[in-house]
Amino acid sequence: MSVKQFVKEFHNGGVEGELVKTVFVSIVTSFVLLAILYFLKLRYIENFIPKYGFFLFFAILSYSLILLSVKHVRAYKEFACMSGMMIGMTIGTISGLLPAFFIGSTNGMFVGITFGAVTGIFFGAWNGKCCGIMGVMEGIMAGFMGGLMGAMTALMTFNDNLRATGVIVFIISALILFGLNYMIYKEARETEMQRKHKDDEFFTIFWSFLLTAITIWLMVFGPRSVLFQ
Amino acid sequence: MAKNIFYIVSIFVLIIIAGFIFLKGGAVQENTNIQPGIIQGETQKVVLSQEDLNYKDVIVKNGQPILLSADGSVNGCLRSVVFNIEGRRYSKYLRTTEDTLQLPALKKGTYTFSCSMGMGYGKLIVE
Repeated sequence: MSVKQFVKEFHNGGVEGELVKTVFVSIVTSFVLLAILYFLKLRYIENFIPKYGFFLFFAILSYSLILLSVKHVRAYKEFACMSGMMIGMTIGTISGLLPAFFIGSTNGMFVGITFGAVTGIFFGAWNGKCCGIMGVMEGIMAGFMGGLMGAMTALMTFNDNLRATGVIVFIISALILFGLNYMIYKEARETEMQRKHKDDEFFTIFWSFLLTAITIWLMVFGPRSVLFQ
Repeated sequence: MAKNIFYIVSIFVLIIIAGFIFLKGGAVQENTNIQPGIIQGETQKVVLSQEDLNYKDVIVKNGQPILLSADGSVNGCLRSVVFNIEGRRYSKYLRTTEDTLQLPALKKGTYTFSCSMGMGYGKLIVE
């Protein structure tokens, strides 16, 4: 059950094989939504792409990675306490940190924290539920902290290579999520877990659409802290 | 397997195309320190000072470029000043009282600025 084997599983069917499709569907949904909104309304906003393009691009990629992990966890549904806590903590932190960072970069600390903490707590608790109350608590705590940290980091690096920091934060978060998916794969194979649930692609489309729509709205029309007005 | 290879290739193609569109524009909000040649008219000097954990509000005249410095009362991260004026960022770490940040001539209004960590705020009132 090496990482190599895990990567090979992407080419096969089964739970891991579907993950690639999830990323594809999520990215397509988000970019199609963005393209439609751009041609209908957003292109009339001055400097839309230079101002928000970078942060929207990475927010969309972040959502595809978060949804990939969520779908992976939901496929097996039940894990041991330790794994469940790790799942709640990792998904909570990353799904709080990344949206908070990218929204914090355009709207400031308050909106970044609020949106990041809400998404972090929601996804953290939802996925941590796979092992019971400990996972839920871990998810809530991690989501809350991730939201706070993401927006705070964005504002603190506002004057010091904000975009480069965004890329670094995204790459590290992607590596952490890859590690989580590997852990789920390993756990499932070692304990001979069977697939318990199958989400169709509507699940991915729905969440990608919702998260991207809220992010675009917040970035462009949402409230801002004084420094961003 | 062929399907998944299609998805992987499509993901990379999509990311490259979207990246080309969204990342090519560069930042509007660059760290900007105006070159002396751009400044026109008489420059007004403004010295920032600290009041509790924020900056004291400062009042300047409209239509004149501004040369900003910070006195000894300004401490810590408040010495790194950030202005976000009409999508452009003007910032500098005013390490000593001699260091200055140049701002363009501004229209009447109130401009909020902060330290680089967003901890301390102040108002630049243009009359």
